[in-house]
Amino acid sequence: MTRPLLKISDVSVEFGPKANAIRVVDSVSFSIGAGEAVGLVGESGSGKSITSLSILRLIPDPPGRIVSGSIEFEGQDLLKLPANRMPEIRGRDIAMIFQEPMSSLNPVMTIGDQIAEALMLHQDLDRDARWQRVIEVLSLVGMPDPAARLGAFPHEFSGGMRQRVMIAMAVACNPKLLIADEPTTALDVTIQAQVLELMKSIRASVNTAILLISHDLGVIADLCERVVVMYSGRIVEEGSVESIFSKPEHPYTRGLLQSIPRLDDDRKRLYQIAGTVPMAGSVKKGCPFYARCDLRVDKCAAEMPPMFEFSKQHKAACWVTGEAEQ
Amino acid sequence: MTELLRADNLVKAFGSEGGFHIGARKQPVRAVNGVSFSVTTGETLAVVGESGCGKSTLGRLLLRLIEPTEGQVHIGGVDVTQMSAAELRAARRQMQMVFQDPYGSLSPRRTVAEIIAEPLEVFGIVKTRQERRERVAELLEQVGLPPTLMDRHPRQFSGGQRQRIGIARAIALNPDFIVADEPVSALDVSVQAQIVNLLQDLQEAKGFSYFFIAHDLAVVRHIADRVMVMYLGRIVEIGPKRSIYTAPQHPYTQALLSAAPEPDVKKRTKRIILSGDVPSPSNVPPGCSFHTRCPLAQEQCRQVRPELREVAPGQTAACHFAEPNPIKLPVSAPAYAS
Ligand SMILES: Nc1ncnc2c1ncn2[C@@H]1O[C@H](COP(=O)(O)OP(=O)(O)OP(=O)(O)O)[C@@H](O)[C@H]1O
Ligand SMILES: Nc1ncnc2c1ncn2[C@@H]1O[C@H](COP(=O)(O)OP(=O)(O)OP(=O)(O)O)[C@@H](O)[C@H]1O
Ligand SMILES: [Mg+2]
Ligand SMILES: [Mg+2]
Repeated sequence: MTRPLLKISDVSVEFGPKANAIRVVDSVSFSIGAGEAVGLVGESGSGKSITSLSILRLIPDPPGRIVSGSIEFEGQDLLKLPANRMPEIRGRDIAMIFQEPMSSLNPVMTIGDQIAEALMLHQDLDRDARWQRVIEVLSLVGMPDPAARLGAFPHEFSGGMRQRVMIAMAVACNPKLLIADEPTTALDVTIQAQVLELMKSIRASVNTAILLISHDLGVIADLCERVVVMYSGRIVEEGSVESIFSKPEHPYTRGLLQSIPRLDDDRKRLYQIAGTVPMAGSVKKGCPFYARCDLRVDKCAAEMPPMFEFSKQHKAACWVTGEAEQ
Repeated sequence: MTELLRADNLVKAFGSEGGFHIGARKQPVRAVNGVSFSVTTGETLAVVGESGCGKSTLGRLLLRLIEPTEGQVHIGGVDVTQMSAAELRAARRQMQMVFQDPYGSLSPRRTVAEIIAEPLEVFGIVKTRQERRERVAELLEQVGLPPTLMDRHPRQFSGGQRQRIGIARAIALNPDFIVADEPVSALDVSVQAQIVNLLQDLQEAKGFSYFFIAHDLAVVRHIADRVMVMYLGRIVEIGPKRSIYTAPQHPYTQALLSAAPEPDVKKRTKRIILSGDVPSPSNVPPGCSFHTRCPLAQEQCRQVRPELREVAPGQTAACHFAEPNPIKLPVSAPAYAS
């Protein structure tokens, strides 16, 4: 691979007063090539949204801040860019679909105006062409009768329709990188299939790279080539979709895959990983999964495992499976 | 099995009073359009259907969080739609809701302990501060959150963590009936497994009934006793889980089941991709509302709206052709199938 489109190196994010800060993202590194689709999965609260918000420098500060690392986009470190250059990058080069559609739409502005505004900032279209494009992107996301709904306000939409408005805004400007945080969680499967098709088609037509955060591993399998797995603020496994889904090497990833309810199974209870998730930043030493792991050995409590290489396409941070492999 | 809840011909029209469209003539949206069903004690009725088909609106109507345009809801034999404000407040102890949007439904200024304890205080269940903190801690632990976080505010939590705060609040009073609107959609599968198991344990121990709105068909398959499929404000099929999954009769149910993504790269296969426009709820097509997208539509479907009728024991479907054998839809392999 030549230079990746996005290269995140050693990024850490903390919340709270400096004296007893909580580290919710801890030395995260991964990259995304141009046109590549990477899935980010992991336990609820593990830092997926915070990682993606840090790419656009949208971490609420205070109480949060990026304390180390670099985020290179097309070779340029976004963390070193003057803050007033960011709006230009957001939306045009990197677009984001936020996890909370209601809180990221403006409640007192019609959805037509909101999408048109996004277009106006980044594309040179005259008024008529702009409205045409607004209607076009709304129909791309499966909005029924889009022309008639331009004048509606966000509260007049169902949860899934709001999510689709967000998606429409994000894809309107053909970004180079699309960060999609749970873009299909509020959508039924038929609309979800349509949104996945849409993401595939913008990839195919304008070579948009995608960072897809989703807990729906079916969606990840459908869209992505690579997956990054997070647990308690850290990356614990990374590799191609094929190798991770068929041969997960980190015990957390194994538990995760086992927890999936399947369409064709009638188990009485779902498999559940024992114990509860440690609060991000609460495990200061050793592997964060230690307390819940059935493979644990003493070493795991003492020292955070490095990323062991299982193949060129597959790395995982586990002492037990990693050392067995060497 | 005793009947806990019955809905009769519920209708909710939005926008008949305010402006929904600019420019164009105002068309009310019939978000829920003549829905009747019942839920028995200890049962889970799951609701699935396209985004915007009226699931959340129906859930809100059942608890009278919004007023119906027509129809009644009986819970435990009492007509909820006729209750006075005071009666309704008292009845709320028995019926709770987990909201779809965990962000919008948790007050940002209050701490998690205050949010979860509110219903406990309203009904005088906890009296001292100590009691309150103990009960909140217990509830947080049940939903898999560390009790040490109870003094934090909602914005300090991730999406899935907020969702669990909403669940803790809803189960705090041990209600008889819970409307759970996409309660696990924001959760990763391992936490989802924990919550689904918890909801099932509570049901077994306490006999809760759930009206469970979801779009993840695998989760529904796991948790539901019966499944209700909605399309444009109406029920198109309802029946025991097993029949819905193994012998779906309505073409929409069949399309829905075929579209579920599976976490298996080798299974990227045969989806029934619906073609045709999704009709707008303010402009419902005549006849069968699904005919614009149905691969089997005939002239009759464009003219006459099919009523719900029994197609198998306990299973009803609203389709002219849903009898006697389940229809086999033509399955088109989507372009991206690898
Ligand atoms: N404003 C804040 N103050 C303190 N802690 C915060 C704040 N925002 C987030 N956190 C913490 O940071 C951690 C990571 O949150 P993040 O939103 O990235 O999780 P996530 O992986 O996206 O989870 P989910 O799948 O539930 O959305 C969580 O443990 C959360 O409690
Ligand atoms: N306050 C409102 N004013 C006008 N229309 C509304 C209002 N609330 C809902 N609607 C409309 O009613 C229809 C049903 O909405 P509802 O939220 O019940 O859908 P849903 O099935 O829950 O969808 P989703 O799966 O996307 O959450 C939608 O067309 C929506 O636009
Ligand atoms: Mg998140
Ligand atoms: Mg809804």
